[in-house]
Amino acid sequence: MSKHDLLIIGAGLAGLRAAVEGVRQGLNVAVITKVHPVRSHSNAAQGGINAALTDRGDDWRDHALATIKGSDYLADQDAVEVMCREAGEAIIELENMGVIFSRDDEGKLGTRAFGGQKKARTYFVGAITGSALLHVLYEQSVKYNLHIYEEWFVTKLIKEDGRIAGAVAFDIKTGQMELISAKAVVLATGGAGRVFEPSTNALICTGDGLSLAMQVGVPLMDTEMIQYHPTTLSGNGILLSEAARGDGAYLINSEGERFMERYAPEYMELASRDVVSRAEQTEIDEGRGVDGCVFLDLRHLGKKFIEDRLGYLQEVALEFRGIDLSEKPIPIKPGMHYIMGGIKTDLNGATNVPGLYAAGECANVSVHGANRLGANSLLDTIVFGRRSAIESVEYIKSIKNFELDPKELSKEKSRIQSIIDRPKGMRSAELRDKMGSTMTKGIGVWRDTDSINFAIEGMKDVRAQLPNVYIENKGKIFNTDLTSYLELEFMVDVADSICQGANARFESRGAHFRTDITKRNDKDWLKHTIVEYNGEELNTTSEKVTITDWEPTERVY
Amino acid sequence: MEALIKVKRFNPEESEDTYFQDYSIDVAEDSTILDSLIKIREQQDGTLSLRCSCRASICGSCSMRVNGSAKLVCKTRIKEVSPDGEPITVEPMGNFPVIKDLVTEMDSFWSKMKSVDPYVKTSFEPEAEHIASNESMTHLLGVMNCIMCGACVSECTALEVDPTFTGPAALAKAYRFVVDPRDEETNSRLGNLNENTGVWDCTRCLACVEVCPKDVAPMERIVKMRDLAIEEGYTNTSGYRHTESFNDSIKKHGRLDETRLALESTGLLNISGLIDLAKIGIKSLLKGKLPPILPHRPKDMKKVTSIAERLDNQGSEED
Amino acid sequence: MKYAFYPGCVARGAAPELYKSTMMVVDKLGIELEEIEKAACTGAGVLQEKNQKLGDVLNIRTLALAEEMGLSIMTICSTCQGVISQANHRVVNDKEYLDEINEELAKEGLHYSGKTEVKHLLWILLEDIGIDTLQKMFNIDLSGFNFAPFYGCYLIRPSDALGMSANPKRKHSLDIVIESTGAQSTDYAGKTRCCGFPILLINQKNSLKMVAKHTGDAKDNGADAMVTPCPLCHLNLDGYQAKARKQNKRGKADLPILHLPQLVGMAMGLDPKELGVNKHLVSTANFIKSIKSKVA
Repeated sequence: MSKHDLLIIGAGLAGLRAAVEGVRQGLNVAVITKVHPVRSHSNAAQGGINAALTDRGDDWRDHALATIKGSDYLADQDAVEVMCREAGEAIIELENMGVIFSRDDEGKLGTRAFGGQKKARTYFVGAITGSALLHVLYEQSVKYNLHIYEEWFVTKLIKEDGRIAGAVAFDIKTGQMELISAKAVVLATGGAGRVFEPSTNALICTGDGLSLAMQVGVPLMDTEMIQYHPTTLSGNGILLSEAARGDGAYLINSEGERFMERYAPEYMELASRDVVSRAEQTEIDEGRGVDGCVFLDLRHLGKKFIEDRLGYLQEVALEFRGIDLSEKPIPIKPGMHYIMGGIKTDLNGATNVPGLYAAGECANVSVHGANRLGANSLLDTIVFGRRSAIESVEYIKSIKNFELDPKELSKEKSRIQSIIDRPKGMRSAELRDKMGSTMTKGIGVWRDTDSINFAIEGMKDVRAQLPNVYIENKGKIFNTDLTSYLELEFMVDVADSICQGANARFESRGAHFRTDITKRNDKDWLKHTIVEYNGEELNTTSEKVTITDWEPTERVY
Repeated sequence: MEALIKVKRFNPEESEDTYFQDYSIDVAEDSTILDSLIKIREQQDGTLSLRCSCRASICGSCSMRVNGSAKLVCKTRIKEVSPDGEPITVEPMGNFPVIKDLVTEMDSFWSKMKSVDPYVKTSFEPEAEHIASNESMTHLLGVMNCIMCGACVSECTALEVDPTFTGPAALAKAYRFVVDPRDEETNSRLGNLNENTGVWDCTRCLACVEVCPKDVAPMERIVKMRDLAIEEGYTNTSGYRHTESFNDSIKKHGRLDETRLALESTGLLNISGLIDLAKIGIKSLLKGKLPPILPHRPKDMKKVTSIAERLDNQGSEED
Repeated sequence: MKYAFYPGCVARGAAPELYKSTMMVVDKLGIELEEIEKAACTGAGVLQEKNQKLGDVLNIRTLALAEEMGLSIMTICSTCQGVISQANHRVVNDKEYLDEINEELAKEGLHYSGKTEVKHLLWILLEDIGIDTLQKMFNIDLSGFNFAPFYGCYLIRPSDALGMSANPKRKHSLDIVIESTGAQSTDYAGKTRCCGFPILLINQKNSLKMVAKHTGDAKDNGADAMVTPCPLCHLNLDGYQAKARKQNKRGKADLPILHLPQLVGMAMGLDPKELGVNKHLVSTANFIKSIKSKVA
């Protein structure tokens, strides 16, 4: 049985940053990931990473305010302060690790403008910032000789005496299942986009960590806050970065009008994402779209500029739509992209279960509140990935060595075997598709009581049919039929929590826009929705938002 | 439309043999090969194993051989490969052992990456960021676009006969550090890359350049590193002698002096190599195939040699 | 049909039988050739390694000389074809660079407009002559024979410099010409791989592994001979076949390697000995006998 001080589940930016920190702190660290680290979905982030560099006249409080306003005042302001204050150091450290950030004329880090911010403080690498960062963190993992369980699937977290003790996982390449003992665990499993259809997310974004956490009694927070990104391709949902708008692209409707003038006269295309998505959806719903889309127009930026700064967008446009962005506007629409909600943690990534931490998209500190600003997600992963690892050090010191009960392994092996042994039934993809369309319809850019109920009822149905899903592949080697089903189980847990959260918040705030209750209600609802699994069902409670220096005001762009 | 996909199957749990399985699946007109493989897996055959994740050509998971040549199947449209509905053959990448079906074992790929020390080495701790020109960073963007998909390795003709060759992916990654202005180990990196299994084992066949889905052009990076190694003073290779001899030939004759090239590349002190060459030389002589002592020169040869002389000092053009 | 002829260095050096057989075949085809006598070596990619600009200047100069003659260029070597095409592709897509090069050429009174085509004899057969017309010139039926095509890297990569999207048949041009003679084209992995010539003088071991693999595989799959449009490939596959196959335990050197014009010439009924087929290092005696038996 393998034993580690710190086990990190997920090898994206948050996971690798936590791991590198753990190694630097002298811990016995291991990362467990269901895909090779560079395949993690962090690589799909395109636009950039925010930071207020105070040594050159920027003010982190300005960044904090933009973030808090962007969150529609649902973000915990002490958490936002932490993130914005530590951002400068985080960026410099990334550059020192070797990230090939774009530069200004003096050879210093260069910026681009981004959504929801007046000042340009988004540091970037072409249109592949996430990939560039992830690859450098991977390089660091090589440098530090990090122990990685590559292509291993975690099925369950193990608690002992009320604290975290490890996990059960199997090697996808051989089917071999093992108990891994750990004094502390960091969940860094990313988002849950596959709960919806379509989504910008990769196929691996199935909310594993959220469900794993729920199963050991950790609450999820603000799960109704689902970000619909304004510029995604119809059909496959592939993302076109906000960087385009940051670098000057326009949004136009079927009449060629730059419609954001009517919705956000000051920030225009760079208003917060929920505002822009709603604007687009309104244009589409009112007949000023074409085939359910409006258009992103880059023609005026020129071919060379596009190829130098936004090369990946040009690649996507040409490959998936046959469109040269310097010649034609490209049809886009709001698409499910990010979950602001997630595993409830404190400012240091700690959950209510001793030894269990969470960081990155799967966590909710909360820094993003009801809507995330573009380029804050990459920052979130780095800052809180690092903090969780540091926080775990003292805790780990306090834990004596222990043995895991081998029955945990045999129990889990039986459970998995009984799934494989199920008689012929329906395929997991069919059920996932049902969930995807139900959730997109019920918890979309617009919601109301009817749509939320539609989602709740639909998900009851989906959950009821889970036992009918059968696994055609009975083999041990690379059995994606099995892993798809296990991911589906995780996703159903996440979807249920999302429905619960949506059903609990009786106001519109940020990404949660109810057409039946359109106003924001700070008096009653300046709180987080908390969803907890008690072993039988989901319970919903709430908790006040932490306000420090920024009193909530009307949010206008 | 109906997509006909012929997939190479392999399941070591059942048999050591590979076989082809024909699938027919109904997909949208503009579907990619990945769309159809996923649909097959989801609707027809749950035993089919393949790696895929982002569907947007950024994660590098889905490189496979399509009609004999590696491609990222998430950005390869069916109509592009099979305009008239012909069956498409999909196999795992070449030059890798196969775990199952379309899933290859990537251990050697990752260990070769690691072998080039793939992280910036700098002892200088600046106060804030290292100062570096945007031009230098933009140049690195070209090679940072590499998503480590393995397509280049799949088609590398040198790796096919010599699995110890470091390979195009790892060498392109090495280039990223060699030309990173912040890295302080340029000289020793080039020294290592100049050795066996390094930059001189590339046969310049352009296969990697042809298949790279991100225009990284690994071969061009390898060739550039050969040049840089020579500039750093690493001239103890037959590769160096080969390029020098060729260059001299053009400067002198405007054409290639094959005999001299063969002799100088081998190395005038390399007795066994020269004897070896002599054996072929004699055979060729007997067949009337020995190149003339003085190569056939172009008319107005001086026009060519003067250009060569003039541009020789200017060095190579920056891409 | 007239072309500016660029024979390349090796056709005048270590592979004189290529030059001779080319002349015999173009005569039969009714093609007139005017050699670009002032042209320099292409650099074969080796020169470009040390000095890309020099290589480009020399190759654009060759194109400018042809342009002065008012003719398209015909090559008989995959490497020449590839290197000149790559240079052409570079300047056609970069006006600034073309201007820079023209500045150099102006010193000799030359100028390149970017409009000259360069085609390998193989493509000329496929596109300018046409397979139907070619077949009418064949006197003997080579059905029953099995020839392994070996393209040579620079004739098929990089595809965007070689006009592959406008002329997709070029990808299979050698297979098509082989089949037009009535013979079968051998199915084996090596047809689009590398022959190892570029590393012959750098890493002979690996170079010979390639020779052994491709000739061994072709022979195992039933090939009577291998056909290649590149004399550099020919040098390696023929010249070093004995050593390669011995070193790599792939049997004896028993696969004759033919130049493209030799195959076409034989199909036209020309004497194999005249075509220089008996001048190769790997014995072709038996092969020539079997061809002659078809002539009856």
